[in-house]
Order: sequence, then C-alpha cells, then structure tokens
Amino acid sequence: MLTKLAGGRLYDPANGIDGEVRDLYIHDGRILHHPPPGETPGQTFDLDGKLVMAGAIDMHTHIGGGKVNIARAMLPEDQRAHRRNRTASTRSGGGHAAPSTLAAGYRYAEMGYTCCFEPAILPINARQSHMEMADTPMVDTGGYAMLGNDDLLLQLMSEGASQETINDYVAWTLHATQCIGIKVVNPGGINAFKFNARTLDVDEQHPHYPLKPRDIIRTLSRAVAELGVPHPLHVHASNLGVPGNRTATLATMAAAEGFPIHLTHIQFHAYGTEGDRHFSSAAAEIAEAVNRLKNVTIDVGQVMFGQTVTISGDSMHQHANHHHAHPHKWTCMDIECEAGCGVIPFRYKDKNFVNALQWAIGLELFLMVEDPWRVFLTTDHPNGAPFTSYPHLIRLLMDRSFRNDQLARIHPDAAAMSLLGSLEREYSLYEIAIMTRAAPARILGLTDRGHLGSGARADLCVYRPSDDAERIFSSPMLVFKNGEVVVEEGRITRPLQGTTQVVRPEYDRAIERRIGDWFDRHHTVRLANFGISDAEMAEGIGSPVEVHPCRPRSVT
Amino acid sequence: MWKTELTASTDHLTCPFCGLACDDLQLEHQDPNGPIDIRNGCETARNAFTQLMAAETRPPMIAGRPVALEETLERCVSRLREARAPLFGGLATDVNGMRAALSLADQCGALLDHVNSDALFRNQLVQQDSGWMTTTLTEARNRADLVVLIGSQWHERFPRLIERVLSPPEALFTETSERRFVLIGPNESQAVPAELRGCIQNVIQIENRQIGALAGLLRGLVAGRPVRADAIPDVNAETLLTLAEQLKSASYALFVWSAAELDFPHAELTVQALSELVRDLNQTTRAAALPLAGTLGDITVNQVCTWQSGYPLRTDFQQQGPRYDPMLNRHQDILARNECDLLLWIAAIPGGGDPPSTDCPTLVLGHPGLLLERPPEVFIPVGVPGIDHPGHWYRSDAACPLPLGQIRDLGLPSVAQILTQLGQRLAQTAQEETPC
Ligand code: SF4
Ligand SMILES: [Zn+2]
Ligand SMILES: [Zn+2]
Repeated sequence: MLTKLAGGRLYDPANGIDGEVRDLYIHDGRILHHPPPGETPGQTFDLDGKLVMAGAIDMHTHIGGGKVNIARAMLPEDQRAHRRNRTASTRSGGGHAAPSTLAAGYRYAEMGYTCCFEPAILPINARQSHMEMADTPMVDTGGYAMLGNDDLLLQLMSEGASQETINDYVAWTLHATQCIGIKVVNPGGINAFKFNARTLDVDEQHPHYPLKPRDIIRTLSRAVAELGVPHPLHVHASNLGVPGNRTATLATMAAAEGFPIHLTHIQFHAYGTEGDRHFSSAAAEIAEAVNRLKNVTIDVGQVMFGQTVTISGDSMHQHANHHHAHPHKWTCMDIECEAGCGVIPFRYKDKNFVNALQWAIGLELFLMVEDPWRVFLTTDHPNGAPFTSYPHLIRLLMDRSFRNDQLARIHPDAAAMSLLGSLEREYSLYEIAIMTRAAPARILGLTDRGHLGSGARADLCVYRPSDDAERIFSSPMLVFKNGEVVVEEGRITRPLQGTTQVVRPEYDRAIERRIGDWFDRHHTVRLANFGISDAEMAEGIGSPVEVHPCRPRSVT
Repeated sequence: MWKTELTASTDHLTCPFCGLACDDLQLEHQDPNGPIDIRNGCETARNAFTQLMAAETRPPMIAGRPVALEETLERCVSRLREARAPLFGGLATDVNGMRAALSLADQCGALLDHVNSDALFRNQLVQQDSGWMTTTLTEARNRADLVVLIGSQWHERFPRLIERVLSPPEALFTETSERRFVLIGPNESQAVPAELRGCIQNVIQIENRQIGALAGLLRGLVAGRPVRADAIPDVNAETLLTLAEQLKSASYALFVWSAAELDFPHAELTVQALSELVRDLNQTTRAAALPLAGTLGDITVNQVCTWQSGYPLRTDFQQQGPRYDPMLNRHQDILARNECDLLLWIAAIPGGGDPPSTDCPTLVLGHPGLLLERPPEVFIPVGVPGIDHPGHWYRSDAACPLPLGQIRDLGLPSVAQILTQLGQRLAQTAQEETPC
C-alpha cells in the first residue's frame, strides 16, 4: 500500500531541509518523495504544517544487560511508584529509573524514538543484553562491546602484540558479541580495581600490566578506525566524577592521536577544582577542545533533578562513590576477567551545590559546543536522569527564558559559578533534529535511518507544533515504524519487535587460535559457546540482525 | 545450528543439571535416539543424562489417562480461562520457557514462583535491601588467594566447583598451589574434599545458624572494634583473630556459599552478615562473594522475570500489572492458604522440581520421565532444555547466560511452545467472548 503524508513541515538535516512544507510517501516500509508510477495512495494523512522528523535515535542508553537488571532487582520501589498496566495491545511493566524492558520500549516509542543503543555490553553478557533488547518492543537496538579492561587485550598489549593482531581481536569481538561498536570504560581502571587500585589516571601505570590508559585509548581507537567500523571508539574516560578530571578528559582526547573518538557522558568528566568547595565547571575548556579537535564527538549525560540510579561498568569509581547511595544500598561486581560493574541509586537535588553545578555544566556543554553534529542529546540514561526527561531537556536547550527560570531555582552558589545565565544560544528545531536523528545515524553508520530522503527506512514521527518544546517532544501525534503507524497521540496502537544492528569487519581467523588457547587455559566458558550466531539471534534470542557496512582504512 | 540440527558429537555441551552449567561436556553417540556417552561431566551429570535417556516417555494425560495433546491443551485453556487466581509454580525451565510463562501470566493474571525460591530469596533480599559485592567463576578461578567456604554442602551441590574454580591447574594472578582455604560450617574434618586437604588453613566447626554471628564478629575484628573474639562457644578466639588478619592481608578473598543449605528462618540475615563482611574488607583490600545457585533454572527465570516485569519472582499480575511481594507470594503459602484456584506447574528439568501435593487443580508441564504419585488433572510432557531442544540458561553467577544444545529428537514440544499455544488460544477465546 502507498501512504501519503500531505503537507508536513519537514526537518531533515541530513538532506539540508529545514522546515519546508513537502509531501512524503511511504511504500514497502520506505520513504519516497514521489509516488511510484501508477500508484495512488491507499491512505493519506493530512498533516497541515505539523512537524515531520525521522524517528529519533538514542545512541547511549543503558536499557539492557546484567547491570541494568541488577538495578531493577535492587529497586522494587522504582517499579512500585511507576506501574504501567496491561492494555488491549501492550503488556504490563513499569519503572522509571530502571524500567522493565517492555515499559522502556513502549515509552521510547511514545516519545518518537525508533532506535536505541546499549553502550556497555560485556562480551560474556552479550546474550543477556540482546535478550533484554529483544524484549524491548517498538525499537531497533544495538550495542557496543566493552574492551580495554579484559585481561586478554591487556595481556596482548603487554606482550607487544602488533596492531594487526589487536585489530583481529577487536573484529572477532564485534562478531562474537553481535555489536555495532566498541566501548572502553575507565580504560584499564576496572581491571586495576581488581588489583586494589582506587584510581588510575591517563598516564599512570597499571598495577599489573606495563600499560597506561593512554596506550589503551590509542590502540583501540586506531583498531576501530583501521577496521572501518563507522562508530568511533566510544570512551567513558578515566576519573569519572572526580573534581579536576578535566585534565584526564583532555588527555584522553589527545590519546586518540587524531583517530576518531567519542567521549561519552562528558558532563561527568568536565570538572575543575576552583572555588571554596573545590568543585567547578570546566565546560568552557572542554567545549573549546571539542570545537578545535574535529576527530572528537561527545554526548553530554545531562543531569536532571530527582531520583535515579547510576549503572556503570566503572566499578572503580562506582565503589568510590558508594557513600552517596540514596537509598543507601549499592552493588559492585567483578566479572569474568572482562570488566565489572557498579549500581548505585542516587538522587540529584537542585539545592545541593554539586548536583546543581552538574546540571549547569551539562547545559553549558550543550550550548558551548558549536557543531550540533558532534554533540548528542543524552542523559546517559539512567545515570544523569531517566530518558523520559528528554523533552524537558530539549526545552532547556530551545528556550532561554525557561532555562533562566530553572537556573534561578538551583543552589545559588552553583548558579553564581556557572556561565549558564550568560549563554544566549537557543537550539532550533533543525539543530534538535541533527542531534537526535541525523547525527546519531551518521556516527553509527546507519545510512537508511535518521533522515527523510528517498529510500530511507520509513521510521518517522509527526509532532504538533507548540511554543513549548517539551510538549512537542513528549507526545508525538504519529509515529511510523517500518512504514506502519505504531503510535497515535502518544499511545501505542501497534506493538512490534525490532532488529539488532551490527557491523562485521573482516579479520584474520588465525586470532581465534590465540583466543581459544586463552579460553581453554583460563576461562570457565568454552570458546565455542561464547560467540552468538545469526540463527541464535533470530530464533533463540528473538532479534534478527541487520548488518551495516564497514569502510576499512589501510593499516598505516 | 540453532533449531533442530542434532549434535552427534561435541566437546562443548552445556550441562543443565546444576547451577555451575559446565559447558565442556563431551558427547558421543551413533544413533541420535540411542545410548550416549558423556565425558567430562561429574557423576551427577552422567547419572542424570543416563537416567533421562533411558526413561520411558510419558504421553499427555488427563487425570492419569493418556489422551491426545490437543485434548490437554483445550483443557488447559478452559482451566486458565476460568481461573481467577492462577499460580505458575516450579518454573524449572529455560529463558524462552520463562518468557512465555511471563507473557501468559500477564494475560491471565497469574502469580509466578520458582520451586527453589526460598533459597533464591535468601540472596535476593540482601541484594535488594543493601546490595553486595560479588564476582564470577572465571574471576574467582584466576584471582582468589584466600577462599572461605561456608556451610558443608557446596561440594555435593556443585560437584565440579573444585576442579573448575577453586583448584584449577593454573591461575592468572596467583599460584594455585599457594591458594588457601578456610572452611566454616558443620564440616566433619574427614569430609574435607581430598583435593583441598593440603591447602586447608582452618576448619571452623560451627552450625550453619551460627555463621551470621561469626561473620558479625569477624566484621568487628577486621574493623579493630573492641569485640570479644571468644563470644561464640566452641569457636577458638585465636583462630578468629588469625582469620581476621588473613582476610585483611589477602589480595582477593573469596566467600562461597550455597543459600540452599542455609535452611532456617531469616537466613537472609546470615547472607547479609557475610556480604557486609565482604564489603568491609573492600575498604582496604579486595574481596568478593560467590553465592552458588542456579540449579533448576532459578537464576535464569529470576533474571527473565526481572527484566520483563521489573521485579524478581514472587510477582503476580492479578491487577492488570505486576505486583511484587517476596513474603506474601511464596508459592507454598499461597497453596496452603488456598489463595489460588489453579496450579500450573513447570518441571522441564529433572532433578527435584516435582509438583507439590495439593488439592488445587493442577496442570503439569513436565520432563518426559516425570513420575507422579498422584496424577494431576493435566500432564503434558515437554522437552528438557539442552537435551530435547536448544535454549539458554544462566550459570550460578548470573552474568553468563549459556547456550543449551539439542542432542535428541523425540518430537517433544518445549515449555515455550506449549505456553505460547495456550496464550494464543486464550486470546482467541477472549476475542470471541468480547462483543465488539
Ligand atoms: S558440576 Fe553441575 S553443571 Fe557441572 S557437570 Fe556436574 S551437574 Fe553438570
Ligand atoms: Zn559510562
Ligand atoms: Zn553510560
């Protein structure tokens, strides 16, 4: 059937379209700009100037995997306070900071999201991440496999293995875990914590291996680039949340030596030590570096006030922060000579100086990084805030007077120390469409998503215009997934299951002998049971894969 | 490979017979439905495989009378439709079996509980109330330099723990020959497993009920608080003082327990005391807990329940959405208080998950060799995950879901297939009933 979307106002930055009124057609799950010859629309939506954008893409959201499930198990109070009842077409669930998979999928779709990426997949736990995401309805998913604290990589690097060998290992990991990117969390630091180190700075030597975090960043960012993986190395830098960590953040950017690098939740890594409380914003300095270094992209990890839970692979810094747990309970775990995790419930308070300044720092970063193609809209769900706060965050970015009203309510010393009140920038709808659609699709190598060009996948949403951006983005009038209407007036009308987005860089299979030997000697899982096949993804886990191309660069 | 291709010979078969989920079993068989030869597995595994392969396959039955599968399905549907408070118990199944159970429970307002939940919740309540610090098998295998073994049954409940984790041929970060063990529990000294005898540092003879007090005392000693080291009768003060010092100077102390044997009221407080001791040690050095569980799929179904409903087991869907109550929703009490009007019992994995004796109408999805003294209203034979159909299940440490293979084909449906069928039929009848 041919569907016509008549008279919508299109925001499609990938194709340079900024609010033009145009007709669109949907045919066989794809977008067309002209009807195929001889076909007449079986269905027409008269959009009359409503806003049309591609489906939104969340490139960093903790929605599936072992540590997310620990958070759910630890927080029955979060479920109890946010129950979501069963309807004729949807199943029950609940939760706010750590929603059930079903509730998360429905809520994402109700906000116009059609694609979500879990940023911290432990290779050994990849099956669980994919099973949880398969049970997250409405959205397509994907994930980044965690390396850089696994003893095999650190061993290989310590032995002086060639870059080609490392590249093979990285590529093998992507295949085995069915992932689309590589993530490193506190490079070497999670591993060092197992040797009882409590900090590991970028140029500090690891307590066991003759390596520094800088070496890990350089090696992995180069591997990812040489393999042609579209998504740059995704980095949760050293010294998470530590006052003065701006130097580590700048050193991490430099460690990539010009290779593409994505620094995630950079708000948590943009702290100085000025002022009476020895805690200050380094947003200006970080934003200046991002503006200057074109190989760097960031997402913010905006903090919002209220109860949430922090979920991180960074067991080292999660353990260090356990005293701040609210309610007072916390879990840390060492996992399989690969990595670890820490789960700490947390309440951000606007009258708390540090929390208030964190809020301001995130907004400063959004407003001071000039290129919206290189800064992504995240709260690091749920670490800064649950993803349901995105519409509120968008309003903060688009509406200066609203932002200043909010600024007036936070801890006055924090407000006084922040540049935020002086920043005049207001994001446009076009820029919001860049940072939530076009740019995430581009940086992940999803060529048929995040835009409204002819042939694109028909994942799109229609919003009612309003002066209040929060209202616009809270509740789309229509959401299309694969060309079908799945949400009407902010309610699910047609549940569906998504697919898993992966990349498959080529590699020399000889590396599997080395990995197999390592498994045989040291692991408690057989290598043969480690990798996930396509058939297992489709039939056992319940989420078939879609492979996106790599563009290898030659090894220099 | 995933679907029905039979494995005739493999060296990486995953064993479904205890929570260690060893995945290195070697299997040889000529005729896929004939006898098999299993190597690498422990005696428990070999016996379980042999018994299962030899067991006579029981047909679908209603009240003990063999009938066609179709008839049992129809009976289940009408029972589920009538039931106002169904209880889904047992739940010895794999990931996909539990996914289907949750979907059906949501559809018909059922309560879910696992046959091993008493043991499971001794740990779960601690994670929920205070959190904890844990580790996994590979990490423990390569890192622990001091191992504290709690209780006395970990060895028989998890037969290959010594071979695979505690005493491997080599470890990455410690000399396995220098690894030291402390036994705390009702251990007869001659019952210490032979493989460990040379490396036992201490055996503290104590009833399981006293372990919580002992852990509390150790916390005090570790923190240097003025506690009396001789406060526990029959436990030598010097031994405890030494142990406290050893724990503090260890690089990675490991605490191992199986909550299943801590079978006394409020045993979660014992688990809590142990995990608080672990967390205290981490203020200055590293230590971690390794709670042993997972047998009959308890960790597996608890994980799936948690991600789909947001809550662990002991969750019900009677009011359009999930409600969780770890105390009130204990299945044994629900049955005893007559608070359910239908029991759907799932026992797809052999080894102790038999349905309880009850007057409540009972539908059983059981492994094909399940012998029941009292025939339930409905019995449907289902495949054993890992033997009759592929699947996934979790190891004890909850971090490693492993693939289960298929080694024979008797044409048995999986739990997931049966429950999905029931769900579809129930939805159809519901549609026919609602006037539109
Ligand atoms: S220890 Fe457990 S999982 Fe391993 S072979 Fe024996 S019964 Fe099977
Ligand atoms: Zn992170
Ligand atoms: Zn994150």
